[in-house]
Amino acid sequence: MSDFTTPSFLNRADAALADPILKIAVERTAGTAEAKRAIAIDAFPDFEAARTRAAAIKDHVIAHLGPYLEQFEASAIAAGAQVHWAQTADEACQIVMNICKAAGAKSVARSKSMLGEEIGLPHALEEAGIGRVETDLAEHIIQLADERPSHIIWPAMHKTREQVSALFKAKHRTPHEEETIAAMAQSARRELRAKMLGADVGISGANFLIADTGAVCTVTNEGNAELSLVPPRVHIVTAGIEKIVPSMPHAIPMLRMLARSATGAALTQYTTFYTGPRRSGDRDGPEEMHIVLVDNGRTKMREEGLADMLRCIRCGACMNHCVVFRQIGGHAYGGTYPGPMGAVLTPALDGLASNRDLAHACTLNGKCQEVCPVKIPLPTLLKGWREKSWREGLEPTSMRAGLGLWAWVATRPALYRLGTGLAIRAIRLLGRKGWIASLPLAGGWTRYRDLPKPAAQSFMTQYQREQRK
Amino acid sequence: MSARNAILARLKSPPPLAAEAAALLDTPERPAVDATNLESEFLARLALPSVNASHDVIASLTDLPAAIARYLHAENEPLTLCCPPDPRLAPCDWSAFTLHANAAPDETATLAIARLGIAETGSLIFETSPTAPMLPNFLTLHHIVLLPVAAIAAHLEDAPLPGPQPRAHYWITGVSGTTDIEGTYVRGAHGPRYLHVILLRGGILPVT
Ligand code: SF4
Repeated sequence: MSDFTTPSFLNRADAALADPILKIAVERTAGTAEAKRAIAIDAFPDFEAARTRAAAIKDHVIAHLGPYLEQFEASAIAAGAQVHWAQTADEACQIVMNICKAAGAKSVARSKSMLGEEIGLPHALEEAGIGRVETDLAEHIIQLADERPSHIIWPAMHKTREQVSALFKAKHRTPHEEETIAAMAQSARRELRAKMLGADVGISGANFLIADTGAVCTVTNEGNAELSLVPPRVHIVTAGIEKIVPSMPHAIPMLRMLARSATGAALTQYTTFYTGPRRSGDRDGPEEMHIVLVDNGRTKMREEGLADMLRCIRCGACMNHCVVFRQIGGHAYGGTYPGPMGAVLTPALDGLASNRDLAHACTLNGKCQEVCPVKIPLPTLLKGWREKSWREGLEPTSMRAGLGLWAWVATRPALYRLGTGLAIRAIRLLGRKGWIASLPLAGGWTRYRDLPKPAAQSFMTQYQREQRK
Repeated sequence: MSARNAILARLKSPPPLAAEAAALLDTPERPAVDATNLESEFLARLALPSVNASHDVIASLTDLPAAIARYLHAENEPLTLCCPPDPRLAPCDWSAFTLHANAAPDETATLAIARLGIAETGSLIFETSPTAPMLPNFLTLHHIVLLPVAAIAAHLEDAPLPGPQPRAHYWITGVSGTTDIEGTYVRGAHGPRYLHVILLRGGILPVT
């Protein structure tokens, strides 16, 4: 095994690359998502301007995050909700557990929330002996399989229909008979409905927090958020502090971008704004609404050069378009968030030392940044982690030697051009039918996948030739 | 220091300028809608595979029960309806139906009145109130929605309500669906499998 990266990530990536079923499963969903997004964006009048606007809305909020959070808190309290603040994941879980205990909760219905995964809520509920019903179909699948999500929009992306079928047959009370995806979805509907209606507490995340009304916005395609959050007596929201938008009209351009970037739809089927608990005379809705505002490293990201990442609206487009993610799936990344955005977030959330290798799981082809609806410069942020890891001496010796040489050469343009020219000739020698079958220092990758062979000349050589014409 | 104060201390910044926030909403990029033809624009979006809804048109509110009966007959369903306690429905003669106000866990058909329809997306806009419960609209297999033609607006920007908000303000754009297994679309994941919109052309609903 080469030491171009630490064994933990390489082991996981290696195992993922060797799993032919995983590759099929990831390709089926990510490929469809990529195609649908392309159609939706082609049909949109000026997507580039819309990206600029979406990024500007988030930048405005991040610049004034403190005042907006205070405004949100005041509005939510005025609407009858209770607002809690948590600096860490543990604090957030503790707050949720205390609310559940006070409510005498025996079972909780959860509507999919990446923040919930990030703070370890499923585990905390388990430890507290509170029954947990995951109501999103994909989350239900991975709960039955006792696995972690592998994608932020399609958490069960790594599972094939055959695997889901076997799982439901083993675990559902009245499983499907017909081997169709529709029949499997029906089996889950039967299984989950009674459990949703019987839950004592409903827990959700938030896609947006509306500062001027105190509303919490969720979006789902299945309608499971509403079915999980309306019947129980208590609704708890756990949300990252960066989810704020100034007003409902500001959420609208963001919702347009989110749906198109995530699933290629013009709008998600169900978009709901919850403002406080049930009003007098209302025939349904919870009696208590709690909102837990979670920092968990976000203020630090804002202070330490990662403010751009706080624009993320969790659409998943960057991973659907990432050549590395498409080969290895989400689990290999090891954190809550996979793909390019995960490679940027995980070192911030879980520490750089154990996650420095994630920044290397990137070809820097720039595709993720190109598709990101809020223009997050993901490759630049990844390079930032590489440099930080280098400065802090976290890179292994062979990596340090290699990078040291590169840095020395790269700061000398004439040498750099000569060097890359040489490298291209060397790599071409390794090429076979236009593909590189193996590369020194990248064994884990090329053992199962070929790399595209580089162009016959470097970009700079070609560019200069064009200029001379 | 409380967690709240610790977080806010690190996020100190000048208060946002209202003008700056408003400028972010100038001339939004959005799908074009022919404002002179909102009804057909709305119906075109309703028929898209991603929205997947059927529709019918009635001339007067008193035609509503017959239109619902027509739909349920065609779907081979009984004339049983979960109906909101909305006084605006008083002119309707429901004698052919078995009506109830609270939805069963496996409710077959539920009626709701939308406040608005949005032509840009084919969305239906609702709010909760003592006469408009929310849960029946999600438990039901067939969601039947009454929408006055005059209540069709062009864009999502027309949806927000000014002033104090109801407990829930929600937008429904199509039927419950999922692509969670291999990215394959399946309708009727947890909520309604069918959405049927009845456009009311003649006159606006009586004021409550
Ligand atoms: S980084 Fe951008 S593309 Fe990736 S999930 Fe976040 S918003 Fe979407």
